[in-house]
Amino acid sequence: MTVQRQSNTLIIIPAYNEEESIFAVVDHLRKHYPQFDYVIINDGSKDRTSEICHYHDFNIIDLPVNLGLSGAVQTGFKYANQLGYEHALQFDADGQHLPEYIELMVSELEQGNDCVIGSRFVTQARNRSLRMLGNTLISWTIKLTTGQTISDPTSGMRIFNKELIKTFATQVNYTPEPDTISYLLRQGKKVKEVQVTMQERQAGQSYLTLTRSLQYMLHMFISILLVQSFRKRSL
Amino acid sequence: MIALLQSILLVVAFITVFVMLHNIRKSNIKIEDSIFWFLFSFILLFFAIFPQVIIWFSKVLGFESPANFVFLTMIFLLIVNQYRMMKKVASLDIKLKELIQVIAIRDRKQ
Repeated sequence: MTVQRQSNTLIIIPAYNEEESIFAVVDHLRKHYPQFDYVIINDGSKDRTSEICHYHDFNIIDLPVNLGLSGAVQTGFKYANQLGYEHALQFDADGQHLPEYIELMVSELEQGNDCVIGSRFVTQARNRSLRMLGNTLISWTIKLTTGQTISDPTSGMRIFNKELIKTFATQVNYTPEPDTISYLLRQGKKVKEVQVTMQERQAGQSYLTLTRSLQYMLHMFISILLVQSFRKRSL
Repeated sequence: MIALLQSILLVVAFITVFVMLHNIRKSNIKIEDSIFWFLFSFILLFFAIFPQVIIWFSKVLGFESPANFVFLTMIFLLIVNQYRMMKKVASLDIKLKELIQVIAIRDRKQ
């Protein structure tokens, strides 16, 4: 591999059809946060995402076929694992996540946490919408099964330490979803939340339609309430 | 008769859940692939616990025996699963084709 590791922290940016926002997001990171390495995982986009990244010489991995979010993020973890990064952060390509908070998340991780979540609701209250209802329900389910409070389990802004990078890179059922967070808690891993602000998505379409949301909720409930109790403690 | 059917449904439901959890423990399957089977078990369990529901449905729909209604439900669920499998195989087929093409073209370019 000719790629060099220049930082201890890798920012993993999964991107599927993000031509409108990818340049702004990555350019901002490169200009203002050069202390972090980043990698874009293009999940078989059908638009100009890949072309734009190559044109600007961004660090990009192109998946030849669409793997879905879990597969794309796992590619990032495999890359992080192979290059020996200490921390890996999952970061959205649509401009929702703000890089101002990365430093804080890294320092929390260095204080002995295994996973740090950039949460919208540690100190701030949830607004009441259908979407937040889902978030609240998952939060309750995690509280019920692990006794711990995760106020924003669906936040996609998460950073993991070296041990978890290896686990996420190599194991099957470690998807970047709330049920994995509940599984980490069950295994006694330290998960900490820090308050962050998120923006509305800057461009592109939300993946979650109503049917998909219902499917997602069903999946999370069955997984958190039933499946995770019977999984091996492998960590 | 109905008591025997109930116990069979109960046993099958528990075996299904056990097999799925075992496969997840072994990392043989993804959790999302098991969701259908948990729902399947849940339906069987529901029938086992509330046989009145089966009896009521068979009467309303004109089945000769409640067991027939259970069979039809099972066949329906199997067809649903068959459809899901067909979609999965089709998508794998398309992805495999694209992957082969990408690799072949990349080889030629180098």
